Amino acid sequence: MRSAGYAPLRDYAAIGDGRTVALIAGDCSIDWLCLPNLDSASVFAAVLDAERGGSFQLAPDCPFTTERRYLPETNVLETTFITGEGVVRVIDAMLLPGVGLAPSRELARRVEGVAGRVPIRWRVEPRFAYGSRRPHIGLRGETPVATCGQDALALSAWGAGDPTLDERSISGCFVAPEGQAALIVLSAAHQEPLVFPSRTEVESRVGATLAFWRDWAASRTYEGPWREAVIRSALVLKLLIHAPSGAIAAAASASLPEQIGGERNWDYRFCWVRDSAFMLDAMMQLGCPREAEAFFWWLLHASQLTHPRLRVLYRLDGGERAPETALGLSGYRDSRPVRVGNGAAEQQQLDIYGDLMQTAWLYASASRGFERETGRRLAEIADLVCEIWRQPDCGIWEVRSEPLHFTHSKMMCWVALDRAVRMAEAGWLPRGNAARWATEAIAIRDFIDSRCWSDELSSYARSAGGRDLDASLLLGALMGYGDDGDSRMASTIDAVREGLGSGPLLYRYSGEDGLSGGEGAFLCCSFFLVDALARAGRLDEASDAMRELVGLANDVGLYAEEVDRSTGAFLGNTPQGLVHLSLINAAVSLSKGQRA
Amino acid sequence: MNAWGAVAGGFVGTVVLTSALRAASELGLTRMDLPFLLGTAFSTDRTRAKALGYLLHFVFGQGFAFVYYGVFIAIGHSGWALGAAFGLLHGIFASTALVSVLLPIAHPRMGTSESSAADRPLLEPPGFMMLNYGARTPLATLLSHIAYGAIVGGFVSLAS
Repeated sequence: MRSAGYAPLRDYAAIGDGRTVALIAGDCSIDWLCLPNLDSASVFAAVLDAERGGSFQLAPDCPFTTERRYLPETNVLETTFITGEGVVRVIDAMLLPGVGLAPSRELARRVEGVAGRVPIRWRVEPRFAYGSRRPHIGLRGETPVATCGQDALALSAWGAGDPTLDERSISGCFVAPEGQAALIVLSAAHQEPLVFPSRTEVESRVGATLAFWRDWAASRTYEGPWREAVIRSALVLKLLIHAPSGAIAAAASASLPEQIGGERNWDYRFCWVRDSAFMLDAMMQLGCPREAEAFFWWLLHASQLTHPRLRVLYRLDGGERAPETALGLSGYRDSRPVRVGNGAAEQQQLDIYGDLMQTAWLYASASRGFERETGRRLAEIADLVCEIWRQPDCGIWEVRSEPLHFTHSKMMCWVALDRAVRMAEAGWLPRGNAARWATEAIAIRDFIDSRCWSDELSSYARSAGGRDLDASLLLGALMGYGDDGDSRMASTIDAVREGLGSGPLLYRYSGEDGLSGGEGAFLCCSFFLVDALARAGRLDEASDAMRELVGLANDVGLYAEEVDRSTGAFLGNTPQGLVHLSLINAAVSLSKGQRA
Repeated sequence: MNAWGAVAGGFVGTVVLTSALRAASELGLTRMDLPFLLGTAFSTDRTRAKALGYLLHFVFGQGFAFVYYGVFIAIGHSGWALGAAFGLLHGIFASTALVSVLLPIAHPRMGTSESSAADRPLLEPPGFMMLNYGARTPLATLLSHIAYGAIVGGFVSLAS
């Protein structure tokens, strides 16, 4: 199934431990792993450069077909190889630390013989620092290790053949007989000596990891339609949450292309303020108050240094710097440049103020307010919105063309001030400037109605005075813009669906964005449409679209950012948090609509 | 020359030594983590091991400062240059005999060429001059111990 060494992006499943995520192709090759954290440099990046990126391959040494699934309600992947020689099952897990001295990061691959005697071949090719640094490969006693500066890997194998070392790799082969299990464990160390685990403790941690995921999934409270897809999405989000801080990465990967061979390749291993309201809403709907609270306080903590201004995105540790650089990798199927870091961090995007205030509103509504200092900070942010909403910006989609007066950005500024007024009325924000916030909210609404409406489109336009459409306008409906019976919002939903839709799928926008090439249909926008239809009471249309969209997930229930409408191929970074967040929120809206 | 100089020098010197080794780790010069190595001799809990390791490191820092002080008294001379020379010897001793030979013997979780991780987890052995933890580990170790020795020697001399 590989083409020139690259697996289809649809093939990738994800496993993780709350610190980092590994992407595993359908042929069981681990083609993406950053250590020690998700936003660190990669040690395996074959998905971005099949020759130089590095990978951990493990597969039968004979022709095979595969079946995959996550073990029920876990983030532990099971791949079953069916061969002419027999059947073998591989369990892949990033292990969670438990009792005992464990490696700081640990990836276990358990190979179980199911039937016959299957020859297995495995090969670890570590390439540190995004493939730019070759490792020193050697032995510590009988354990193969690969070291490079601050980082080191150890390869412990039991029943998996004698490891063979060369300058570039550690490899081995063995036969997996029915009823026996081999175990290969990759342990990582960063700025510390390696820990070589014992088999007993690894097996114990595999069991504990399975139990953790099952307990976590069982604690989710959602009982509505599409529960399986919702719980899988929740598990994906849990993978993307950086456990030490509570921040959520937008996706597990970097620079996977939005168009094969194109330049739209971005690093998503950061936390976007844009995602915050969806995140908090989804977490609370699913009964994850701890994750919601951790995220809210992380957001306030991260934004403290730039207060009252917000950055578009923050690093997972809360840092604000994310300098964008191009790597020397060839890119997924020659899609260059391969970027790490994200230049959008420097942009002005006005919509994020609405996202933050909506997040605060949701949090305060659930927890009956917050401390006075938080209220004071939010009031200062509302004051800032009053001053800056008239400025053009780069918009939610982070266009690299000239800033515009994007309609969605103005809508979100209205959301920011509307929520500020509501929170002030509830006594959660100081009331001193509430009258000004209300006045400016009316002014924003007037601006949108007079400058952003297009009679020609029968819709709000992408930007003031423009004639283009934008799926982000649906977010206005999701955030309550036009809840007062505004027929223009209902008309906009139809216009966006008509102008940007293709079946259940939506493209992001029409018009310029400062980049060459095109892109696929945006899956999060497609779920936004389902959500908007459900909130508008058009439940049958919403259900039909939802059914089709759920069917577009890959074999293990994951979504990348985009899908190619004609081929069904995934495009962009994967798995993408916003797609899974919007799936959850769409399902919840449908569930509420059906109950009403 | 008095004992309070050794106490102060031992404390400040250990702060500098620990900070220098931490900085070397952040700069990618070494994966050596002395508090982690020391603490895991007594605990398998990472957090507890590191806390204990830092405490032990400061206790050892004080102990070595008194060894320096004893030698200064014995030869009737002290000073930062002599302390730096002691630090060099101390660094060589620490990275060869102490950590490479004695620690694997005394540390219940340190791997050796004879040990096996079949039953319990083991730490990566440091190897000669702790080179297993990075090619520039000896340099970082020696320079930080020279700084430690110079500080102890200087403080003892100042307290005269």
